[in-house]
Amino acid sequence: MSTIRPFEKPLGMRDTLPTIFEKKESIRQIGREFLLGRGFEFIKTPTLEYYETVGKSSAIKESNLFKLVDSQGNTLVLRPDMTTPIARIATTKLLNEKIPLRLAYFSNVFRAQELEGGRPAEYEQMGIEIIGDDSVYADCEAILTTIEFMKTLEIATFKITIGHAGILDAIIRKNVDDEQQYSVLHQLLVDKNYVGFEEAVHSFNLAPEQATILFAFLQEATELTNIRQISKFLYDKDMFIYMEQLASVLEIANALDYIDFDFTLASHMNYYTGMLFEVFAENTGYPVGNGGRYDGLLQEFGYAASAIGFALRIDQLLEAMPKKQLTVDTVLVLYVATQFEKALKTTASLRRQGRRTTMQAIEGIDDIARFEKNFSAVVRIAQGGIDNDY
Amino acid sequence: MTTNQLTIAMPKGRIFEEAYDMLIDAGFDLPKTMDISRKLMLEIPGENIRFILAKPTDVPTYVEHGVADIGIAGKDTLLEQQRKVHELLDLKISNCHIASAGLPQTKLDDIAPRIATKYPNIASAYYREIGEQVEIIALNGSIELAPMIGLADRIVDIVSTGQTLKENGLVEYDYITAVSSRLIANPASYRMKNKRITDLVRRLKKCVK
Repeated sequence: MSTIRPFEKPLGMRDTLPTIFEKKESIRQIGREFLLGRGFEFIKTPTLEYYETVGKSSAIKESNLFKLVDSQGNTLVLRPDMTTPIARIATTKLLNEKIPLRLAYFSNVFRAQELEGGRPAEYEQMGIEIIGDDSVYADCEAILTTIEFMKTLEIATFKITIGHAGILDAIIRKNVDDEQQYSVLHQLLVDKNYVGFEEAVHSFNLAPEQATILFAFLQEATELTNIRQISKFLYDKDMFIYMEQLASVLEIANALDYIDFDFTLASHMNYYTGMLFEVFAENTGYPVGNGGRYDGLLQEFGYAASAIGFALRIDQLLEAMPKKQLTVDTVLVLYVATQFEKALKTTASLRRQGRRTTMQAIEGIDDIARFEKNFSAVVRIAQGGIDNDY
Repeated sequence: MTTNQLTIAMPKGRIFEEAYDMLIDAGFDLPKTMDISRKLMLEIPGENIRFILAKPTDVPTYVEHGVADIGIAGKDTLLEQQRKVHELLDLKISNCHIASAGLPQTKLDDIAPRIATKYPNIASAYYREIGEQVEIIALNGSIELAPMIGLADRIVDIVSTGQTLKENGLVEYDYITAVSSRLIANPASYRMKNKRITDLVRRLKKCVK
């Protein structure tokens, strides 16, 4: 271990400097108004949670958790996602008051450090959860909320890919011989390794019709023109009928332009049980966010209720948003010490007008010209009176 | 990223020629001969394609970070680096395999078997799988030297004809995995440029021999 230099931060940790801070803050403000306007209520949960409960129920791999030990010897985790803590409070507290619940959050989540650049270990998510509504309309609301929010941020080109964890599960399980084969194929789809999927199916020595169905499914599900094509792979049509309903509800809402269905979509978030989706946008090479229905998770906290939610990454939203220079009007009131009282009055009146005003004594700075360059207007208050250009 | 331009990361060297010819076979309108010796980027305005020419082991990096939409990379590199890219198609070019090799009639050291390789992750995963705890020595080239001069008991390396092993008096022990070139895609590009990418996959698929 080399010595730590003064400028270094722990691996994967990032500073937020004023310019970026303001941009993120504007997303937060827009998001807050947007979600309040749709009947969501904001909450906050602790940064630290017990490993035994939230850590274990979270869908984040154990090796990706930040762990520490408290003074009683309990293992704690830095919150790896927001869905699990929300499931904890909802089931133990809030659900007694209101069902369905519509909750929203802005929150930092932590994932273990990775060696390479471009993968922050702490990042901010904005998300919602709708708890206690198992209808197709809750799924639709989650998707429409995503679409409307992306539009509100003026992100022009984005795609939402929708799949269904239960349908994928049923199709694979029906056509393999054991659990081991199922998890191999499922993982390959999580990694979107189509080549590996075909190789694995060949190597399993499945019955010819099973292999044929799996190949056909992979082929058709990735080039879907109509979700009806999936129906023939399913024996139990309930889930399929559900997805058809979702598609028709989304059509009524005029949302289909932003949507692709891909029934090979699989998530490493293993608590998803039903519909799940991923959000991608132009100008960023990483997913902007993802979401889905998780009907089993709340049961782990002792209350059977269905829920759906999504989370979007603030840093990726920022990448995808049109690059606008934030122009803020800032005023500098520069005064000599003897004119302090006059400066106070001038500043107060400027601030009342809503202008962002910095008060600075000339005595306190060395390079006046350089400092003045940071402001859009300067008011100089010297012995002789006020000289201003505002 | 311009809206409709497709950026393809291509490996420099031998694989470039083969992959480039496959694209021509697949009906892409590309210049028949291409002098790429010193170029890093090639624009094909007619097809709205841009090639970036990278060291083969760097292709998955460009694709993962989304500066290239798709790329052509060896399965060895993909296995070694475990990057978040989609693996769409096996092009079945530059076929070879990864194997362990060593001096004839030798056994792994009982106490601390040493394995020299430029694939530390693949090698350690393989030996863990077969229940052998080994020490990995990472090298960048001329791996065959290691057993010859007593640096390691075995090497884990890519084998195509076996000629290099033979010339250096080494024999192959275990076949670890087959390797060929794969078409990979960035997850976001795969969604945002889905039509172009699936079209390309469909056309290339017909040319896979």
